[in-house]
Amino acid sequence: MAGSALRRLMAEYKQLTLNPPEGIIAGPVNEENFFEWEALITGPEGTCFEGGIFPAKLIFPPDYPLSPPKMQFICEMFHPNIYADGRVCISILHAPGDDPMGYESSAERWSPVQSVEKILLSVVSMLAEPNDESGANVDAAKMWREDREQFNKIAERLVRNTLGLPPP
Amino acid sequence: MKAILATVISLALTTVVIGNAYYQKKQFYPSIVYLTNSNPSMAVMYLQAFILVLLVGKLLRKIFFGQLRPAEFEHLIERSWYAITETCLAFTVFRDDFNPKFIALFTLLLFLKAFHWLAEDRVDYMERSPVIGWLFHVRILSLLMLLAYADSYFIFHAYQVTASKGPSVQLVFGFEYSILIIMIANILIKYALHAIDSRWETPWESKAAVLLYTELAINFLKVLLYIGFVAVMVRIYTLPLFAFRPMYETMRSFKKAYNDVVLSRRAIRNMNTLYPDATAAELAAADNECIICREEMHSGAKKLPCNHIFHAACLRLWFQRQQTCPTCRLNVLRAPAPSPDAGPAPAQRANPAPAPGPGAVPGQAPPQAGAVPPPFPNMPPPPMMSWGIPPPPPPRPASLATLTTAELQRMEGTERRNIEARLQLLREIQAMLDASVLLMQQYSAVVTNLPQNQSTVATQTDAVPIETVETPKVKVKVEPDVVPTTSSHQSLSAPSTSGVKLPPVDTPELSSRDKTDTDAEELRRRRLQKFTMDK
Ligand SMILES: [Zn+2]
Ligand SMILES: [Zn+2]
Repeated sequence: MAGSALRRLMAEYKQLTLNPPEGIIAGPVNEENFFEWEALITGPEGTCFEGGIFPAKLIFPPDYPLSPPKMQFICEMFHPNIYADGRVCISILHAPGDDPMGYESSAERWSPVQSVEKILLSVVSMLAEPNDESGANVDAAKMWREDREQFNKIAERLVRNTLGLPPP
Repeated sequence: MKAILATVISLALTTVVIGNAYYQKKQFYPSIVYLTNSNPSMAVMYLQAFILVLLVGKLLRKIFFGQLRPAEFEHLIERSWYAITETCLAFTVFRDDFNPKFIALFTLLLFLKAFHWLAEDRVDYMERSPVIGWLFHVRILSLLMLLAYADSYFIFHAYQVTASKGPSVQLVFGFEYSILIIMIANILIKYALHAIDSRWETPWESKAAVLLYTELAINFLKVLLYIGFVAVMVRIYTLPLFAFRPMYETMRSFKKAYNDVVLSRRAIRNMNTLYPDATAAELAAADNECIICREEMHSGAKKLPCNHIFHAACLRLWFQRQQTCPTCRLNVLRAPAPSPDAGPAPAQRANPAPAPGPGAVPGQAPPQAGAVPPPFPNMPPPPMMSWGIPPPPPPRPASLATLTTAELQRMEGTERRNIEARLQLLREIQAMLDASVLLMQQYSAVVTNLPQNQSTVATQTDAVPIETVETPKVKVKVEPDVVPTTSSHQSLSAPSTSGVKLPPVDTPELSSRDKTDTDAEELRRRRLQKFTMDK
């Protein structure tokens, strides 16, 4: 049985539903498969993503929590730390050692101490404070640094997008 | 829909082309000659063949896999791109052999490769899927048998052709199918492990260790194959550029598997011999919870030098990935062992101290005090024939005893020359490998620095080798215990009368799908309200 991964995912799901963090909903896509989750993340207040509800999916490996899950937004995103296809690139989602460039210290990396909740909270703080040194989306990083106004405009369009509103 | 359209169009085109040929020539053979001499007709025929191959592929996929999962499909596309590029590179080496048969063979190779990949993905999925029916077993086993048969047939064929006609493009096929048959062996082993595992009620702890060793052995075989292949190719043709990316990746994973095995063995041995079992008081102080599996610890818990406590079984699995404390990331291989008298639990240490931990991995050799065991105890030096196409053996006298001294001396001379040549070759290989590693590094450096404007180049970015692209530096600060935006969220929900606060989901038994959906709907509705009020 892939029992321990499943049991831990169930435990985390229970924890998340009993005691949900502000602005975050997450759970398995269906009860048949606990290794694929969907999450809804609200854009943090006071940032350009404020008010948006961003859907994302999380794919867990069979050896979770020994290996980190993968996270991908399933709505259009424009952010220095999110790839064009929605994949999220933050250090908590990488195991130490899978970074040939050696940029990140292992202190910020994945370990079984981390959890879905911590990942989602880090993603919220990533939305609030992008790391513009990331290579995930160079254009977004450049715009964030040099043309904040334009960046905010794009973010507003994305926010309205997630709410099903036409662009302003 | 598009597929049907393409099929219909190509079918119509083929009919027109053949009809035209027959109309003009009236007889079978002249029509064939006419067809093969007309470039446009041949193009149509190729297209038709290509679409037929795709259709057959679809049919076989339906039979053996049913519906593909999106992840499997993505993976397939990604790997196909690599394979196609590499095939095109291979074409450049074998320009002279370029003919329809050659293309057909390469297409067949790609086709079979795709099924190998899918089988691999499917077997990996076994671990995650809760229910596996008999249909799954029948499909996978019959597919694996078929693929293994095809692989061995082509290896044999390549061997025969090479033996009778000398080296040709069949070398590449022999090599590729050898790699594929190794892959089949790997998949079969994994399949067996997963199948056994799923029959047992209790988690099978040594499975991860077995997988680790399998990985090491398989990667070792592959590395040998690649080195042999490259050596032969360099000898006969030229540097096989098309083999470099897979070779580099194989070497990387071999190195990783090797490190994993050696380091994890060391860490697990440390754990079994040096670290004390946690006492009841220590367990209580840690809330009895193991941070790795989030379950209660009753017994069989180990205390690391940093005083963090985990299940021994959980730690063992973690040490197979990383040799650090999961909580504080202390490197257990560098940390000094806890001194016997300084530990807060001297009583506990006294009893079963040097015994291997309560749950010593059954499948693994007992921890040995002393040096790490050599990685490949009984491994012979890389035989030059490892790629499956042994060169015809040199004629050799039946017995050395019947030789005269002069003959012996002559033989000694030739043997010596042979050995020298081999050494020379090995050095060349080494230099070449160094160069290829350097090349790959530069390549990945360039790729990471590329401006990645997305949407347009998204597929290329995905197709870039090695994960360098996926792991650029990001330093989003993670503060595990402090929610960075909590305060702003509260201020968000407090003033708005509609209460944007998410309704707490209280019953975990409820279908999550519905729950999340209704929550999402509700949330969206309120957001919308807020938005329209603001504007
Ligand atoms: Zn545990
Ligand atoms: Zn620790």
